[in-house]
Amino acid sequence: MIHSPIHLLTKRFNKRYFQANFWLQCLFILLLALVLFGPILNLLIWTIAERWYFPHALPTQWGLKYWHQVFNPYSDVSGSLFNSVFIAVLTVIVCLLVSVPAGYALSKQTLPLRVFWMLLFLLPQAFPNLTVYINIARIFYDFGLNGTFLGVIIVHSVHGLMFSIWISVAAFSTTDPMLERASRNLGAGPFYTFFHIVLPQAAPGIIASAIFVFLESLDEFTGTFFVGSPNISTLPLLLYTASMEGNYQIASITALILLVPSVLFMVIITKFMRPDMLSKLGK
Amino acid sequence: MAHLHIENLQVGYGNKLILKNINLAVEQGEMIALLGPSGCGKTTLLNALCGFIPVSQGDIFVANRAISKRPAEKRNITMVFQSYALWPHMTVAQNIGYGLKVQKMKHADITTRVTELLKIVKLEGLENDRVTALSGGQRQRVALARALAIRPDVLVLDEPLSNLDAKVRLSVRHEIKALQKQLGFTSLIVTHDQEEALVMADRIAVLNHGTIEQIGTPEDIYHRPKTPFVADFMGADNHLTWPIQNAAITLNINPTITQAEIYFRSENALVSTRPPATNVDVNPSNMGLLIEGPVEQSVFFGNNYQISVRCGTHTIQANHDQHLPEHTPVLLRVPTDALHIFATEAGNSAPQHSLSPLSNQ
Repeated sequence: MIHSPIHLLTKRFNKRYFQANFWLQCLFILLLALVLFGPILNLLIWTIAERWYFPHALPTQWGLKYWHQVFNPYSDVSGSLFNSVFIAVLTVIVCLLVSVPAGYALSKQTLPLRVFWMLLFLLPQAFPNLTVYINIARIFYDFGLNGTFLGVIIVHSVHGLMFSIWISVAAFSTTDPMLERASRNLGAGPFYTFFHIVLPQAAPGIIASAIFVFLESLDEFTGTFFVGSPNISTLPLLLYTASMEGNYQIASITALILLVPSVLFMVIITKFMRPDMLSKLGK
Repeated sequence: MAHLHIENLQVGYGNKLILKNINLAVEQGEMIALLGPSGCGKTTLLNALCGFIPVSQGDIFVANRAISKRPAEKRNITMVFQSYALWPHMTVAQNIGYGLKVQKMKHADITTRVTELLKIVKLEGLENDRVTALSGGQRQRVALARALAIRPDVLVLDEPLSNLDAKVRLSVRHEIKALQKQLGFTSLIVTHDQEEALVMADRIAVLNHGTIEQIGTPEDIYHRPKTPFVADFMGADNHLTWPIQNAAITLNINPTITQAEIYFRSENALVSTRPPATNVDVNPSNMGLLIEGPVEQSVFFGNNYQISVRCGTHTIQANHDQHLPEHTPVLLRVPTDALHIFATEAGNSAPQHSLSPLSNQ
């Protein structure tokens, strides 16, 4: 080993360079964490704060008072939670009823006007949400759908269909048509084949699309606001009202409740969204 | 009437005809190979038989019943797919028993039949394995067992061995053949491998451009090809267009011909090294095709050497048991009975039937 001065110098420089690099990386990670988790931390503190005034960096009084208030069976929150889940489940059912057959049909390249149908389901997303929902609300007035569960479920389904159709098409496109042929070959009719061979193959993608629709419905605000309120209150609507009234504790707890299914399902979705299926999205 | 009878079958997409005037009669318990290059329509024929693509004209009869208008599930013709098409969400036993379950057979009976089939294809003990965990050869057997489970009228195999590696292919080839003999099922096998067709089939139908060029026993097809295409496809790798203006090539056959396409296999060209000055004797023992020329290339092929002989503008391939250095003058003799001669002139007394020149190649 040669200990020439130049060698030592470069070595020291490299070490210093490495250290600088290391601390810079730490700083970036910290900043990123702050940006990502800072608001959530703030939200978490709010959920257990009973008293928190402006000059204080932390709440002056801690406690679970608002949790008891929220989980009181007669509170707005439990009612809204029930509404939200009820609407979300029915929206998922409506979306699946449409997207499973439609996705299968659209996955066949021979279908006429295939691209047109695919784009049709994308169309509601092309316009600003607000205008679309105000117009829907106006039309729903004529049919007496405003303020009804049916109205809200329809609005959520239109929104959810985009996800469920596009994901279903991708899921059905990855199934091997030879597997269908093999089934027909052995005496199974088209329906038997669909339910025993095609659907199980596409199931992971369909489950992923159902989860997406569920989460979208759970978080949906604009449509529910214009079509459902004031008769129907969901968690996002409650969150909005609570925030407007300055009731940050209730708003934060509601937000936390909304966060739980999102995180949970996102973990599940990563399992079902296989790369080969993602590559077929929009094809 | 034969067990499976195909009459004037035509299949096409739009204006494009894939299959033209296919006539084929398959006897009960017979195995027929559909042999042809890729794109000749052999897989299309299987798909038409199975009902995966519609038939534009003609009829298919199985045991005297016309089936060409029936949907795939009502034909009782099962296929072993090239990709096996096993269902990955089912176990081996569920895959094999699927057809029986569709028929609403009793659970106990299905189990008995599946066990019986697993024994036949030598996969005992694997009934509860996922098909995704099996090797290529094992998947092939599951596909075969699944297709045989419902006792089909006709079994069709679409290039069943093409996805297997060379060693497994040989053993599966013999197993399928042995099974076919043992169980006596009527089957059609599609292949582009002439050796596979020769070994497995009772009769071979050679397809080209959507028509059957020749149907016959393996020996027939191999030794007596009816068209230049069949000769070429069955391994006659040398091709000459007679007449040739070259003194080094002489054709001594009886009766003589003026215009013809001549095919022969390299293994039938007998090589002899001799001094270049000597004249070629034309005597009865020297009948056939005689070619003189220098060795251009000599390639080791394992059991022999493949020798290329240059003769004017022609390069002739021959087999020889030893290496010959480049430029060695050699004499090739192809006996008359090893020559496939297709006269290209109407009214010519050629040993084979006449046909229009070159259009079929």
